Amino acid sequence: MKILLSYLGNLKEYIIFSALIVISLLLIFQNDNVQIRFVRVIAVNVIGTIQDGFSIIPNIFELERENKSLRETNIDLSKELSMLKEAKLENLRLNQMLEFKQRTNYRVATGKIIGKTLIQTRNNITINIGENDSVKIGMPVITDRGLVGKIVATSGNYSIAQILLNKDLKVSAKDQRSRVDGIIAWDGEGKIRMKNVSKSADVKVGDILMTSEYSNSFPAGIPIGYVTTDNTLDNLFKNIEVECFVNFETVEEVFVLKFLSEDERRELEKKFNEKSK
Amino acid sequence: MEYLKYAGILLGLIIIQKTAVSFIDVTEFKITPDLVIIGLVYIGVKRGKITGSIAGFASGLILDIFSFSFIGLMALAKTIAGFTSGFFNNEQKTERYLNSYIFVLLVSICSIINNTIYYTFYFQGTNLLFLDILIRYVLPTTVYTALFSVIPVIFARRRRFAR
Repeated sequence: MKILLSYLGNLKEYIIFSALIVISLLLIFQNDNVQIRFVRVIAVNVIGTIQDGFSIIPNIFELERENKSLRETNIDLSKELSMLKEAKLENLRLNQMLEFKQRTNYRVATGKIIGKTLIQTRNNITINIGENDSVKIGMPVITDRGLVGKIVATSGNYSIAQILLNKDLKVSAKDQRSRVDGIIAWDGEGKIRMKNVSKSADVKVGDILMTSEYSNSFPAGIPIGYVTTDNTLDNLFKNIEVECFVNFETVEEVFVLKFLSEDERRELEKKFNEKSK
Repeated sequence: MEYLKYAGILLGLIIIQKTAVSFIDVTEFKITPDLVIIGLVYIGVKRGKITGSIAGFASGLILDIFSFSFIGLMALAKTIAGFTSGFFNNEQKTERYLNSYIFVLLVSICSIINNTIYYTFYFQGTNLLFLDILIRYVLPTTVYTALFSVIPVIFARRRRFAR
């Protein structure tokens, strides 16, 4: 301690001198005149040059922190990008559906598919609209591309629809070009076929098939798919394979057509069928 | 008591500097002698670095306040000049320094330091080059001040001879 005090005592004059210099400089920099502004500019340049020189020395801790921050930003941006892509695709789909909704003559209810089975022999979809949206059993389910299926069960806010990939759903169909009739049904093994078409009927690969006016479940003219294979099954009927317009793997939103076949027609057909039995 | 004498000397010189000296300016750049630095060198040589620098700071600050501009600049220049003069404080040689023409040399050294600092700062932001500042202001002021520092030397020598 003594040594330190003695050392400081020897430096006393320099300490006082330095203090006076510092006070003088502080007083000088309190001024706001041209000279001081110029000196400030020079000081900023000098400090900037020095900092610039030091910046080439990598700071490992700073780099690590920067790296972490960049990674976090990257994750955030990736999430945002993903959300934007999703929003863009949703926007496209909804735009197409809106166009269809404006085009169609029927009243429709728009629903989102919230459940789907595609690997069974009786496949269904669950939709987030139900009786509260005036959805009833038997109403057709479609998209802007074509027929999806029909409602088979409803609750207040949900409904279940059989889709074309369901063995129990059979749709009366017509060839758009040649007006040949048939029944569209899924074979349960991966193919949708048009049945009951005689060997001599005019059906060609590429023909578009749509619902016919003979159907008591669907209004006429809803596109179903197009013919991919046309060959003879046996002496009487053709084997027609159909590719659906609707891609059941990717479909997300659907319309429920507020259409039910007329009661009088249904009653008549029911009576007639009973009599025939 | 001695310090009061130094303070009185400096105050007297400051008053003369701010009142009468402007009447004896020379050259187109209105160069005047710096009487305060003469007194400051006297005090510095007599009392050392600490007294020199404090006297320099105080006298410089008073001059700054009187000039109403650039507060602190003269204080800075005079502090450094006073501290420099303190380097020549030496018990055996002090009287010799003060009573001979060595004093003129010491005044010149301290004056050139004082003027260089002062004018270099003062002319920042103008188009004047350092060489121009040196030739137009620093050196003439130093020479003019050195000439005036001859006067106390003459008085001191006469007094010595009179004894």
